[in-house]
Amino acid sequence: MDIIKILENTISAFFGIDAAYFALAAIGLNIQFGYTGLLNFGQSAFMACGAYGLGMTSQYFGVGMWWGILIGLALVIILGLLVGIPTLRLRADYLAIVTIATAEIVRLVVRSVRFKEYFGGSDGINSFSSSFRDLSPFDPGAQYGVRPFQYSGYSLWTMIVGWSLVIIFSFLVYLLMKSPWGRVVKAIREDEDAVRSLGKNVYSYKMQSLIIGGVVGMFSGMIFALDRGSVQPDNYSRDVTFYVLTALVLGGVARVSGSVIGPMMFWGLYVFSDNFLRELTKDRPFEMFGIGIIQKSQVGPVNYMLIGLGLMLLMTFRPQGIFGSKEEMALDGR
Amino acid sequence: MDAERTYTELAQRARAALASVNASPGVAKPDPILLAENVRRNFGGVTAVDVQHLEVQRGSITALIGPNGAGKTTLFNLLTGFDTPDNGEWMFDSKNLKKVVAHKTASLGMVRTFQLTKSLTKLSVIENMKLGATHQMGEKWWNGLLPFRYRKQESMIERRADELLKRFKLDHMRDQYAGTLSGGQRKLLEMARALMTNPRLVMLDEPMAGVNPALKQSLNEHIRGLRDDGMTVLFVEHDMDMVHDISDWVVVMAEGRIIAEGTPEQISSNPAVIEAYLGTHQGKSLLEEENA
Amino acid sequence: MNNSKSRCFAVARAFAVVVGALIMFSAPGVANAAESENSIVISVLDQANNNGVSEKIPVAGVKVSVTNPAGLAIGEGVTDSAGLATIPVPAKDDYVVTLDVASLPSGVTLIEGTKTVVNIVKDSFTTNSKRVTFFAGTAGESGASLFDRVAQRLVDGIRLGLIIAICSVGLSLIFGTTGLTNFAHGEMVTFGGLIAFWFNVLLGIPLLIAAPLVIALGGVLGLAMNGIIFAKLRKRGIGLISQLVVSVGLSIMLRNMYLYQFGGRTRPLDDFSLQVAKSFGPVSITMRDLTTAIISLVVLLGVATFLQRSRTGKAIRAVSDNPSLASSTGIDTQKIIRVVWFAGGALAAMGGVFRGLDEQVGFEMGSGLIFLMFAGITLGGLGSAYGALIGGFFVGLLVELASLVVPAELKNAPALLILIIVLVVRPQGILGRKQRVG
Repeated sequence: MDIIKILENTISAFFGIDAAYFALAAIGLNIQFGYTGLLNFGQSAFMACGAYGLGMTSQYFGVGMWWGILIGLALVIILGLLVGIPTLRLRADYLAIVTIATAEIVRLVVRSVRFKEYFGGSDGINSFSSSFRDLSPFDPGAQYGVRPFQYSGYSLWTMIVGWSLVIIFSFLVYLLMKSPWGRVVKAIREDEDAVRSLGKNVYSYKMQSLIIGGVVGMFSGMIFALDRGSVQPDNYSRDVTFYVLTALVLGGVARVSGSVIGPMMFWGLYVFSDNFLRELTKDRPFEMFGIGIIQKSQVGPVNYMLIGLGLMLLMTFRPQGIFGSKEEMALDGR
Repeated sequence: MDAERTYTELAQRARAALASVNASPGVAKPDPILLAENVRRNFGGVTAVDVQHLEVQRGSITALIGPNGAGKTTLFNLLTGFDTPDNGEWMFDSKNLKKVVAHKTASLGMVRTFQLTKSLTKLSVIENMKLGATHQMGEKWWNGLLPFRYRKQESMIERRADELLKRFKLDHMRDQYAGTLSGGQRKLLEMARALMTNPRLVMLDEPMAGVNPALKQSLNEHIRGLRDDGMTVLFVEHDMDMVHDISDWVVVMAEGRIIAEGTPEQISSNPAVIEAYLGTHQGKSLLEEENA
Repeated sequence: MNNSKSRCFAVARAFAVVVGALIMFSAPGVANAAESENSIVISVLDQANNNGVSEKIPVAGVKVSVTNPAGLAIGEGVTDSAGLATIPVPAKDDYVVTLDVASLPSGVTLIEGTKTVVNIVKDSFTTNSKRVTFFAGTAGESGASLFDRVAQRLVDGIRLGLIIAICSVGLSLIFGTTGLTNFAHGEMVTFGGLIAFWFNVLLGIPLLIAAPLVIALGGVLGLAMNGIIFAKLRKRGIGLISQLVVSVGLSIMLRNMYLYQFGGRTRPLDDFSLQVAKSFGPVSITMRDLTTAIISLVVLLGVATFLQRSRTGKAIRAVSDNPSLASSTGIDTQKIIRVVWFAGGALAAMGGVFRGLDEQVGFEMGSGLIFLMFAGITLGGLGSAYGALIGGFFVGLLVELASLVVPAELKNAPALLILIIVLVVRPQGILGRKQRVG
């Protein structure tokens, strides 16, 4: 077993592009779920808005990346209004049901054969990242850095942009949550009737929170698409939202640092587990008491099983995150 | 001494205005701040509220009493837009509130509290208070990103909040989470927070529920204090002693209707009220026993 | 200290459950079942003409069947998103492949000259799998008449609606009695299908004997979910939103456990899978599907009667209406909740068996249905059992009828649209009470 390799991969995963785009998605979800208490289970659809906004504009309209961001924003607002208007007046779980269903429909529509000429079907959209690539100061072919932090010029560029966005949005969320606006949404999470009785338009704040969180999610989708150089519908499945949620809960909800550290830890742990199990089953199935337990082909499902289990345990025992304070926990109204 | 005199003056003025009013259900008042007409609400065939006519005198402390299930809280919900009646009209300061949603009633100057206190436990006491202030620039998200735009207003709000906390003797808890307050302190906080909206009518839903006797007296003083500051108070209460103590006018509800109105003295001797409180059968037997 | 100790135990216990499950499930490893058996791979492709470039677009959701030359059914399947359906056959032999024209998506017909029936001769098997391709073309007025297609869709819709109704009764009752929106309910459906497969295919137990066992085990799974997880969460006073997120985690875990054990392929059950559809006027239906539809209907009527008449049923409705009031009138709320979880799990497992017969068994068969179940219970009114029956039924009907106008790959979209419209117009659903929503 190549322990050095596993550790190297794990360490680089902490700072990798996957952690960056997860962090952006988690920052958005944190605004919605963590601070405002909105169960947005369709964050992947907001991510898809960004990715497809970017991909379609350069692919079909031949205009640059900046237009893609604008189109992505428009798509996010439309999607936010579509899921928000019917549900934000109702109990929290309606939003969960409608967002998850909408996200699934969005995925089905963009991967459908019927709309292939617009969205590219299950192949998605490729070759749209040239204007982003042109902005890069690095030689896309060259390798930079030393192992385990060694990246091609293009990867380095997306990583720098991705993590910069993480830092920028973390700071903006920090400002927002310290402001009276943040006070209102945090109060809504606890008791919206109280907030309403004090003259605040709860519905409007929830909508703002949903859309602002969706916009950050949109940037997550863009970074992801730019890094891969392609937009593929199956990268925006409902499970992506759930993994982001798991990462967020791991770091601790309603905390700016939680939405950054959580995804880093999530990817570190995931890559460790994945690499470890693959090494374990490389030559022959992993056995216990003479019974084959994990085959090579079963490593994927076992990893995801662990994610599901992790989400359950975290939500039950440490909803305030791994580093959360006991004091907040005591105030959880339990 | 000074405060004492003001209190008596205002109390006397309110009582004087109400002295000439007939003690009958749905009676008109000289200067109503709140007026409800034919407000009705059904829950699956059961009439929870059916108020023909109700007026609340400006500058008075009006108590709304009645047995459990009389529809007092439902009436509160209807008047403040937290529930929608099947029909009826109601006005606050001659503005029709029929189509006004809950959060707008508060900005019009009509604020309510809740039977089960809604202190926001994970916000600090001072944050709870500051939440109450209306028209905050920083509550717009784009201003929220630019602290210098709301900082000045925020410090003014904070000063006002601190004054109120002092008055309600919560200043020592200022930076604690509201979740750490006792039940009575939460009631006080909720009342103080409601005052941050600068209301003209304060509607308190059972302000004394779950409050220990020692604190009750100071709550009483605070409610009187609201009137002294020129506010009108309408409150729901079970504690008859308190009702007697502080209210200028009492409205009695039973089974959704208003069955009696009057000064506390008039109400405590009203047979319809006794009957409603004791239940029809018991009430009858009580009267029969008295007759015998 | 004590608290953190018990927490450690709980974590350890949860891990023990998972490891135990891994060991328990791992032995025969269905995922590795021999892939070398003979099969016929049927491919349905739409020859579209895009800007002068001809493309072959896979057509999903087309029903195909294989019979032997004597007309005896060998297997059937539905094309997946790659337009492929793999039907295992016992040996390299002569077969007849038939494509069900009525199941083609709207606007798609077979192009002229393509037969719906293809004969395969033994010698044409060059490898273990023989490929048969049907070419379809967009548009064209030929094919089944509109009336026939509507009639067929109506029948299919009724069948799907009945299955969704059966699956979602439990979801709605659990919501009504505990307030939990259980995202893992789809996995309870999958459980039914997979256990049926295990009994029927791997152990060779006839489905008629296995099905009651499967249903009982489904009930036990429901009880276990409640007992091991959700009852504990309620006891700890954990909020409903947190409970919902826990159910999401449970759903992810179970689904991947199924994938781990069963593999990613869909497979048919052994019994009753080989039937030739009989035609009744414009509609064709197999006796199997007719039977499951009738059983479903009887079960649903039974559930409704149970809720209406029996003591327990009345208690369930009372708890759904107002839990605190119900417990103050002497109803044992926790017991009622256990009954509801058992019944919900059993019904979901039954739905899973029927669904497995209808289509095939796979690790995602239930999670694919959960949207439709949510749409159904929202339409009927969250928490209302009768609402779930009616709403689920209508959603199934709608999905199948919708495929007359929208592409088959998007046929779930109208159900979501209905969900959104209902929430705007009447959020309490058809049978829900207004105050439940707020």
